[in-house]
Amino acid sequence: MSRWKSFLLFLTVMGPGIITANIDNDASGITTYSVAGARFGYQLLWTLIPTTVGLVVVQEMVGRMGVITGKGLADLIRENYGVKAAFYMMMGLFIANFGNTVADFAGWAASMEIFGLSKYVMVPFGALAIWVLVAKGSYRFVENVLLIACLIFIGYIISGVMAKPDWGVVAANTLLPHLQWNAEYIYLSIGIIGTTITPWMQFYLQSSIAEKGIKKEHYKASRLDVIIGCSITDIISFFIIVTCAVTLFPNGIRVEDASEAALALKPFAGNHASLLFAIALANASILGAIIVPLATAYYICEAMGWEAGVNKSFREAPQFMGIYTMMILAGAVVVLIPNAPLVFLMVLSAVVNGLLLPFVLVFIIMLINNPKIMGEHVNSRGYNIVSWATVVAVAILTALFVVATIFPIS
Amino acid sequence: MALFGELFLSEIIRKPVFDPKGEIIGKVKDVIVVKGDPLPEIAAIIVQRKGHSFLIKWESINIFNKRIISSFLYGDSLDPYSYEEDNLLAVRDILDKQIVDANGAKVVRVNDIKLEGYNEKAVLIAVDVGMRGILRRLGAEHSSDEVLRFFRTELANNLISWNYMQPLSPELKSIALTVPRQILSELHPADIAELISQVSREEGANLFKDLDIETAADALSELMPERQAEIINSIDAEQAADIIEEMQPDEAADVLSDLPTEKAKEILEHIDREEAEDIQELLGHEEDTAGGLMTNIFVAYPPGITVAEAIERFRKDAEEIESVYYIYITDENERLVGVASLRDVLMADPQALLSDIMKKKIKSVSPETDDMVAAEIISKYNLVALPVIDADNTLLGIVSVDDVIDIILPPSAKRSRRKV
Repeated sequence: MSRWKSFLLFLTVMGPGIITANIDNDASGITTYSVAGARFGYQLLWTLIPTTVGLVVVQEMVGRMGVITGKGLADLIRENYGVKAAFYMMMGLFIANFGNTVADFAGWAASMEIFGLSKYVMVPFGALAIWVLVAKGSYRFVENVLLIACLIFIGYIISGVMAKPDWGVVAANTLLPHLQWNAEYIYLSIGIIGTTITPWMQFYLQSSIAEKGIKKEHYKASRLDVIIGCSITDIISFFIIVTCAVTLFPNGIRVEDASEAALALKPFAGNHASLLFAIALANASILGAIIVPLATAYYICEAMGWEAGVNKSFREAPQFMGIYTMMILAGAVVVLIPNAPLVFLMVLSAVVNGLLLPFVLVFIIMLINNPKIMGEHVNSRGYNIVSWATVVAVAILTALFVVATIFPIS
Repeated sequence: MALFGELFLSEIIRKPVFDPKGEIIGKVKDVIVVKGDPLPEIAAIIVQRKGHSFLIKWESINIFNKRIISSFLYGDSLDPYSYEEDNLLAVRDILDKQIVDANGAKVVRVNDIKLEGYNEKAVLIAVDVGMRGILRRLGAEHSSDEVLRFFRTELANNLISWNYMQPLSPELKSIALTVPRQILSELHPADIAELISQVSREEGANLFKDLDIETAADALSELMPERQAEIINSIDAEQAADIIEEMQPDEAADVLSDLPTEKAKEILEHIDREEAEDIQELLGHEEDTAGGLMTNIFVAYPPGITVAEAIERFRKDAEEIESVYYIYITDENERLVGVASLRDVLMADPQALLSDIMKKKIKSVSPETDDMVAAEIISKYNLVALPVIDADNTLLGIVSVDDVIDIILPPSAKRSRRKV
């Protein structure tokens, strides 16, 4: 195959990996990176490399299953491990993802307030807009909107460059790991992994690859899509950390969340960088608020065997549209209630996510090593060692993250 | 041999299997399914004991029901079983699989499998695709029943008969329904009714919408009353009126009597005046009486006309009547004076008067007569139709043998309400 032909092939196959990975940087991810950069400067940059490796290893397996079986992950779990495993996993995912949705609406509300827009207007408006997009739009239209929205993440790269970091120091900190025996440092480094490798994105990636109907012959192109997507995610994370590290860290400014970071940037990196940061946060939040409820509705229906799809009406797919609508509605309402237990919801969501992840990863490894499902495309021995090591490491780290989240370090 | 009523696969999985002395020889792990006639049947049970799998052939099963499963064999004489790809296993290969329609669109998932005893065999009669199946698998069927009883509702069963499944093979990725939507209208209305009664409510209403009016009318009359009401409720009054107009007045009256009064009134307003009057007349009778069963469409002529004239008139009139067995003879006040079978009329001298050939001893019933009594009369005197008259001897309608058969032996689409 000529180079030109393989490039064209890649263009037709690409999408799921890149979209999934971009949405991975949702409001809670951006918050973690901003806080990490402001608190520890460049010192946490090195964690991005092992995180990327872990992400690629996991996503590659999931992508491979999507291509080979043409089924979603929830489908495979239901068919091979029965209704109980699938049902309880879906319950957990629903709770965790509801928390994620709330976090995304909170991020949207905060970024809108930066622009001086009332959240009591913008949250209902945003909720209605994304509901209409899916309920009334076609699949192709939704996909195009998502792809364009992904471009806005470049705002973080631009604001990172505008902050004029010392690239030599940045490179050294990225490539050389250094540990600090500091509770907050450890918590944040685990948090970076915890917000990057999440259970729901494995389900979403496999479903979208399966739905796209990518053929076995084109698996290599699809793998490239996944790897590029994972790299982009962490390049974005990298620039968020760098921006905050250059501007906020030397001035000793601590931030609690992403919108605070955007505001705090103003005096140090200028109006434009601050605005870009806020726009990118708004974009990430609203993207998350579209995808997370959509993904949840998708895999719950997959597991239960109900009709699902963006192109379906309420009549044709009542459960699908019901779950989607309910999550958006409830997520938006919770953000608008004064004194709603937002923090509790986020903590609950992080804990449930952390508890689910090891199960999801173990299911993935068991499924991908089942020759009845994967045929000759099971993991090789060497790859199994790498993937088990990744899974065990990620599982231990998320377990620590859960413990640290439940008992915060004062 | 193992005779049993009906049960669900999930109710026997992990159940202990006993030997003749009452010792446990293992727990049910799976069942091997083979092609049977007419439905797939269980050929063997796979049990697990201490991590090893053993095979018990169906012939060696003594008792097989929800509560107890036992074998003629003892634990030490069991055949070990190694999983073979070409065996079709119910749990491994069928349970939890996606059911797709003939166009490959997802429809539902196999939540459970229903088994029934038939000719000493356990046959797979239906798949459970509803919420009830999921709850049963989660072990929450009874508790959710209790909760729902509190709210005075009930969780419906949602089964699809095996008749509509494509033949199964091991290693299948999904199970296809054999009835694609396009060929639906080519089926006999009674078969369509059976199919509609087995799929989910929405799916059924959707299937129904694609039918032409005539088929829709025929299929509707074969459904059980609740289902009829559901479907009519889901379409607008004008469309419903078109379908009901197409039905026989007695069947139309049955459908309307199960609807909320408002909806029934609305539909009647859209129906042609004459037909609406016929239907309303029938609506006045109690359901379990000859009056509720009868139709008021029949052939009645005065006694003074000749056989030739009667045949001439009959040619025109019979066009609108579903089936005719007798010509009734009524006087100027519509009082029944005699009856002649079609055969009598055709065989008679064309110039004879109807009053000459008619039989005057007529078996008849009043509209208040119990429907079973009417059925007994029809059966006893070998009638094809039985006239219904009021106290003045006025002919109100007829109960035909078809109507009677439907109450004694309802078509399966109507019966499934009792069975499932």
